[in-house]
Amino acid sequence: MSVLLVALLVVPLLGAAALLVPGPLGRVAVRFGLTVSGAVFAVAVAAASAFDYSDAGTIQGTVDFAWIPWLGVRFHLGIDGISLPLVVLTALLTLLCLIYLAGHEPERARELVFALLVLELGMIGTFLSLDLLLFFVFFEVVLIPMYFVIAGWGGEGRRRAAYKFILYTLLGSAVLLVGLLYVWAQTGTLDMVRLAAEHPMSRSAQILAFVAIGLGLAVKTPMWPLHTWLPDAHTEAPTVGSVLLAGVLLKMGTYGFARVAIPVLPEGAAAVAPWLGALAVVGIVYGALACLAQRDLKRLIAYSSVGHMGFVLLGFATLTPVGINAALYGNVAHGLITGLLFFLVGAVKERYRTSDLDQLGSGLLGRLPYVGSLLTFACVASLGLPGLAGFWGEMLALQGAYEPAAGLSRPLFVTFMVIGGLGAVLTAAYFLVMLSRLTHGPWGGPGPSIHDATRVELTAWVPLVVLILVFGVWPSALLGLTTPAVQTLLGVP
Amino acid sequence: MIVSLIVVLPFAGAVLGLLLSRHPHGRDPAGNLAANKRAGLFGVVPTALSAGLTGWLVWENTPSTNVLTVIDTGGVAITVGLEVAELSVLTAMLVGVVALAVQVYSVGYMRGEIRYPSFSAFISLFTSAMLLVVFAADLMVLYVGWEIMGLCSYLLVGHWWEERANSRAAIKAFLVTRLGDVGFLFGIFVLGFAAGSFRISDVLAADIPTPTLVLATLLLLAGVAGKSAQVPLHTWLPDAMAGPTPISALIHAATMVAAGIFVVARLYVLFPQPTLDVLGVVAAIGMLGAALAAFAQNDLKRVLAYSTISQLAYMAAALAGGARDAAVFHLVTHGAFKALLFLCAGAVIHHVGSNLLHHMGGLRRAMPVTFWTMTVGYAALIGLPPASGFFSKDAVLYGLERSDSPIQLLLYGSALLTVGVTGAYATRAWLMTFFGTGKIQALPEPVPGTAHVFDGREAPATMLWPMGILAVPALLLGFTDAGEFHLAPAVTALVVALLGVAFVYVIWRGSPERDPARLLGAFRDPCEQAFYVDRLYAAVLVRPVLALARGVVRTDDEVVDGAVRGSGRATVGLSGLTRHLQNGNAQLYVTGVLAGVLLIAVGAVVLG
Amino acid sequence: MHVVYPAVVAALLFSIGVYGVLARRNTILVLMSVELMLNAVNLNLIAFDVWLRDALHSGQVLTLFVIVIAAAEVGIGLAIVLAVFRTRRAIELDRLRDLGEP
Repeated sequence: MSVLLVALLVVPLLGAAALLVPGPLGRVAVRFGLTVSGAVFAVAVAAASAFDYSDAGTIQGTVDFAWIPWLGVRFHLGIDGISLPLVVLTALLTLLCLIYLAGHEPERARELVFALLVLELGMIGTFLSLDLLLFFVFFEVVLIPMYFVIAGWGGEGRRRAAYKFILYTLLGSAVLLVGLLYVWAQTGTLDMVRLAAEHPMSRSAQILAFVAIGLGLAVKTPMWPLHTWLPDAHTEAPTVGSVLLAGVLLKMGTYGFARVAIPVLPEGAAAVAPWLGALAVVGIVYGALACLAQRDLKRLIAYSSVGHMGFVLLGFATLTPVGINAALYGNVAHGLITGLLFFLVGAVKERYRTSDLDQLGSGLLGRLPYVGSLLTFACVASLGLPGLAGFWGEMLALQGAYEPAAGLSRPLFVTFMVIGGLGAVLTAAYFLVMLSRLTHGPWGGPGPSIHDATRVELTAWVPLVVLILVFGVWPSALLGLTTPAVQTLLGVP
Repeated sequence: MIVSLIVVLPFAGAVLGLLLSRHPHGRDPAGNLAANKRAGLFGVVPTALSAGLTGWLVWENTPSTNVLTVIDTGGVAITVGLEVAELSVLTAMLVGVVALAVQVYSVGYMRGEIRYPSFSAFISLFTSAMLLVVFAADLMVLYVGWEIMGLCSYLLVGHWWEERANSRAAIKAFLVTRLGDVGFLFGIFVLGFAAGSFRISDVLAADIPTPTLVLATLLLLAGVAGKSAQVPLHTWLPDAMAGPTPISALIHAATMVAAGIFVVARLYVLFPQPTLDVLGVVAAIGMLGAALAAFAQNDLKRVLAYSTISQLAYMAAALAGGARDAAVFHLVTHGAFKALLFLCAGAVIHHVGSNLLHHMGGLRRAMPVTFWTMTVGYAALIGLPPASGFFSKDAVLYGLERSDSPIQLLLYGSALLTVGVTGAYATRAWLMTFFGTGKIQALPEPVPGTAHVFDGREAPATMLWPMGILAVPALLLGFTDAGEFHLAPAVTALVVALLGVAFVYVIWRGSPERDPARLLGAFRDPCEQAFYVDRLYAAVLVRPVLALARGVVRTDDEVVDGAVRGSGRATVGLSGLTRHLQNGNAQLYVTGVLAGVLLIAVGAVVLG
Repeated sequence: MHVVYPAVVAALLFSIGVYGVLARRNTILVLMSVELMLNAVNLNLIAFDVWLRDALHSGQVLTLFVIVIAAAEVGIGLAIVLAVFRTRRAIELDRLRDLGEP
């Protein structure tokens, strides 16, 4: 198992390094990338099957050796019920992105595939690392390739969007680093497992550290009001960039809450939780209202991510097993659903050269039936319809807010629950209004050169559809993994 | 086991229909026809099997529970299971029969339509969801089915999505019910946490303090009001008539709208008096208001839609008055006769090519079967013996008369008045459709939202058979409960109903070419606009929310992002200030060095 | 005599040198003021060397170092002044601002 975890990091690294060597590999870069990401996915699936599901609360496959001995930084990897779904999700989304690229050959393919492989390394590393500074290193590794993906292959405003993305998230990371170093200074150790088990910091130190770490993670999540980098970054990024940005990078922020902030700093979390909850529900309603008035499809989905991450943060803020389960479920569901949404919108944009709703016209269900039906499916999943994956994240978060952890103000959280519920109605409103504008309405007959979904595209999209359905009707598949881990995390017997 | 089959069979039909429907259709008409036939099979056969199995359950009549698994969420556990109880089986029978009738009817109604396969698949999905609601053993499972029904309603009302109005109607249907559903979900939370479990049997048996019950049931009422189109969440139903008539029959007459009443009946022991009073007031207002609105409508389907709101309010009033069994009885009979009325209306619309009453007239000779079946339906609606509606209305009125609710007088008075107005609007619709001179104009192409153009004949057999079959229960269901017949309220109701009928008949007879509703005079417009509730909502809810949305986008760009951009500009500005220190004058630099050295020296001396 | 007397004289000379460096515009005068500062330092070094009766005479040795370095520095400084004069015809220190921000 430890070998598998190391392989998960080494394979993308070697793949990226191989692309650096000038030679014939550049011409078949996309196919090479497909092989490498397929291998990573296979390793991830192998790790999932080697995982001991009856013991999902304990860290498995530990790799632990000294990395920078004189600093006390160790190379500590491990996987448990919280990180396993995210690792598999990352490997799957990267593979699907490369399948998509195989059908839409990009220019400067070698550079793009290199960036994607380094991105994959960073993303998987974040989810596997159990040492605070190692976590931070991998957290940062993803910023540079994503900057290049946006700046190099993006839309018209890509320069500005890429600058804003990297500077804003870098600022957040700087604050995060301060928090992590403060924890190190106070406790003398960087090991997440030890810190989660022992909680050696005093209450005021914990609050300070939680605010610093929380701010840093909040920029990544993104939490209102630190979200403004997201719409521009998503709108200007190419399709694969948006999918990975929304599907995985946002999860790194919330994963940080689940892995670092809450287990290591429980009293800090309890003190800051009302603020977290308040900002989360503001994000839900704000994101929904902003979506109602959007004209650009990708921007609309970007703001919808702010709303969904609001539900995830609300789940975290309740500090109950059901709330954190909701947050983790919502994470995975959002990754699948928004990944699919960005794939579909990217397909539309690529065919019509625009994602502006006014210019796209109406009647997409007639012009592109498969794309239109899948878009309807993805939007319905995103608004949290029961039977599809998005429902469990939202419903369980609201349930957690109904009865938050002891010590948190119940009336406050019930207010959050009500506002969150209204936000859910607004979510349904904007998705349906968008669908009505785009997919319904008159259409003039099929255009000559616009073709419906190709086989390659369907190969990239169908796994997501299937997983959304599976996690919708069989929630225990994911809850069985996360519940023991969450109970360990919260110290609940 | 059988219960699981009953729920899963239509779902399987839906999945097969969606996957194997050869969608999008190609240019080949023979292939399209084959795909439609296949879809028809996938639609009809599982529904028929499901209805048959339900019939067997009715025969067997033993309660049972089937638990598949328990989902541990870390909070209150959710039991995935199905439960067979008498109420459930009865409602399921209604659902099964109406669904089967609608599936067969659709084969004729949607003949040649290229999107028929997805249509029948969504109807199957809807049937499966409704059966899930009916048989759910757990409140969360019920909620899942509840919301999926809402989705199917959206997909089916928006079936002819090329027309913007249909798309808007579908959105309205989904959003208004979703608003109610949020309250419903919160009510489920309150009940689940109070009882420690979401299982319905646990909740019903748990000892929950009354204030909690009042809160929980009021929240549940929000969802009930949404799904069953009660005031104030009733505005979606008349607009949902934009969908094809078969689904108006299934979803908006017999099943989905009945789901709200079903839930109240199922959880009836939990409902304390304050909540029932609220329900009663809502019902009383809705009954009479909707009946008056039905009287003034020009569109046949809208007449029937407002009639549905009114009749559902009738059932709600019965529940509020404590007459649960009467409410359920009326639920079943209403399901039968309203579905029948809608199917017949579909046949009429199919024939005439328009929904509007003033395009119809004198059809009783052109469409005899439709005429007789629709007459049976109207008779049941008005409450004329021997149709089933007579008996169920009698049961409701009897229950209301003897109720010990604090608002008993309001309920009973409102119900009685409604009986009269019901007689009036039903007679008006009947007369304007089937009597008088024919006004059929051969329209060159169908009005958007209708299936076919006038072809001057009676409807095809696939449409007539379901109508005929539904006419049987509409006529005869009353006799199943014949033991509980009460003469006095029955006669009162009959007299009031006949007054309404006679009134309209006399007016009509006076000038058969004119609309009897003109008698309302200035009051007609408010009635037709359903007392401007729609406009009120648009002004108070819709427009402010959209304005708020635009405001949020502006705020996000100017204030929030402005702060971010402003921080960048502030940094650049600050550096613009500090760079002036570097002015090239070496003497200034040396002065700085001197000052620094002085400070350090003083510091070293003072601080030791 | 007491060390105070040469120390005060050295301080006065140093101050005059500082004034010259900071306030005079002519670059040659600035260089001369730098020389004045260095010689004040020399005076200080020798006075303290005598007062502390240093066995190694480190003060006097350091003074010799300073004299040599001052001579080298003045040579280079005057060469720079000559080069500047040749190109710009002006040696006012406050006019030579090419390395400043515009």
